[in-house]
Amino acid sequence: MSEAVSVKPHAKYFGVYVVEMDDGSVRLATKNLVPGTRVYGEKLFRFENVEYREWNMYRSKLAGALGNGISEMPIREGHKILYLGVASGTTASHISDIIGVNGKVFGVEFAPRVMREFVIVADTRKNLIPILADARKPYQYRHVVELVDGLYADVAQPDQASIVADNADYFLKDGGYLLMAIKARSIDVTKEPSEVYRKEINTLKERGFEIVDVVHLEPYDRDHAMVLAVYHRKR
Amino acid sequence: MTKAYLVETFIGVLVFDENKKLLLNIPAPSSIDDHVEYLLKVENGEETPQLAEALGKLRENGFSEVEVEHLSVARNVSNHGLKPNISPGHEVFLEARERLPSLALETGMYKTVDEYYQKYHEIMMEYTRRKLRREAQKRDLLAVQAIRAIDDIDKTINLYIARLREWYSIHFPELDELVKEHPEYAKLVYELGDRSNFTVENLRKLGYSMEKAEKLSEAARSSIGADLSDFDLNYIKILANIVLELYKLRDTLDGYIEVVMKEVAPNITAIVGPKLGARLMSIAGGLERLAKLPASTIQVLGAEKALFRALRTGGKPPKHGVLFQYPPIHKSPRWQRGKIARTVAAKLAIAAKIDFFSGRFIGDKLVKEIEERIEEIKKLYAKPPVKKEEEEKPKPKPKKKWRR
Repeated sequence: MSEAVSVKPHAKYFGVYVVEMDDGSVRLATKNLVPGTRVYGEKLFRFENVEYREWNMYRSKLAGALGNGISEMPIREGHKILYLGVASGTTASHISDIIGVNGKVFGVEFAPRVMREFVIVADTRKNLIPILADARKPYQYRHVVELVDGLYADVAQPDQASIVADNADYFLKDGGYLLMAIKARSIDVTKEPSEVYRKEINTLKERGFEIVDVVHLEPYDRDHAMVLAVYHRKR
Repeated sequence: MTKAYLVETFIGVLVFDENKKLLLNIPAPSSIDDHVEYLLKVENGEETPQLAEALGKLRENGFSEVEVEHLSVARNVSNHGLKPNISPGHEVFLEARERLPSLALETGMYKTVDEYYQKYHEIMMEYTRRKLRREAQKRDLLAVQAIRAIDDIDKTINLYIARLREWYSIHFPELDELVKEHPEYAKLVYELGDRSNFTVENLRKLGYSMEKAEKLSEAARSSIGADLSDFDLNYIKILANIVLELYKLRDTLDGYIEVVMKEVAPNITAIVGPKLGARLMSIAGGLERLAKLPASTIQVLGAEKALFRALRTGGKPPKHGVLFQYPPIHKSPRWQRGKIARTVAAKLAIAAKIDFFSGRFIGDKLVKEIEERIEEIKKLYAKPPVKKEEEEKPKPKPKKKWRR
């Protein structure tokens, strides 16, 4: 196994580290909140007595967006984030590293199969909250989610933009941010990806989101894009 | 008259006035078990004792209008003779949500924020686990897993049998050609081993006809394969035995699926048999999902690749997916298959809905209707359509891909 030569904070993104390997390759990583444990078989690095977890750009769409230079990474320490479509918690575990013990990720997932895996991750990471529910029905978890700083959505549904907006109405604070992964093929296979992105983005705009940046996730994911937006609550 | 804003939260039912002042706080139960029950009730829009108490107090104190977040609460409010207004995302609710941890301290339920979050995490874990458990109790998922296990076993058997044939062919290459049936081949290798044991007498004992036994023993005698010691043959026999065991396991699973399928989906089973029925459920992701699919989707389940290709390119959509395994379909001439698939899919859609929602048995009636329709198709479309005469094709509307 190759060794880490140096670990430096990322020049642009909070809580993200750049690991340089002895073979010259460069990887993203986050500081491991629970040292000694892996979440999905990722590599662990030790440098100056701190443990880091590799953040694989092919496994996590957020890492892919960072790798492709999204204009900003809005997640900060202590943030509360509502995560729609948390799945088995690969990306969520890195967000958990970044927000630290004072932050919270409310992880909503509909499929029991992957929720089982997420529950195992949440068992050791106290800042992850499992919620087995349908993101289409935010009122079914309105009683267990707080007002959040950010919304992260990876639901791969045809109507995902409106699902996201419905959730924002309940839970996202004014000026809060949204990170939304769009999988063009899940929305409409018959349409061109760029057309799908445009349609989704328009829906977001109508519901009070101001689009900050859109990055494509090639080569990490085909026909995917990540949208960064800011929410302005209608009074 | 002042308005009251009622919000159900993790810590209990809270009521605020217009100035966001906390008027009323009915705390959630303190034991984990009861707390989880409370959360489940709120989720399903049922009336909790806390909600009832809060509404009762509001009425006593002369409130007539209550602002709530969702229709499910509004129903309970009007049951108590109060007038509900639904305003999701109202400022008061948002602020309540933001202040939740500090409200938990103010009301004296928790001493520190850390204590609150520790308890919150603990209860949320239990809440989710309980819902997961409930999900796992659905028996249809057992049939789904069993059919997937069978598919895995089939793949494994194929892999092993290919290896076994090649391995044993070093010793007795002629057998590979003579015995095409996999279980039979594995059995011969396991029972007889060395080709010198392929005597007419031994083969007769294994149930072979005189003719076949003589043919095999003749082939063994004149084989061009290498001689192997018992030591070498032993390991080949172990592999053969595993293959045989896998066949046995496969058969028991077949039986198991039949039992479960008859329990959970008697009508589907009546139409297409337990295995194909389980396979349809497996692709759809359970009986509930299958029950909610339209017939047009059921018709092409398992042909997703072809369907989406057709949608992308505007070509011909597939006539059938996994339904092809239904004997009347694959035994019929090509031009009748689409019509039969459409009929069966339509009846399956009905059967799945009955299986999931009521469980009555009308399978025999459905089967009869399908048979009648197939006969009609056979009569009406006995000949292949002439040249490029338009074939009546089932046109599934552009279905969006469902989430896995």
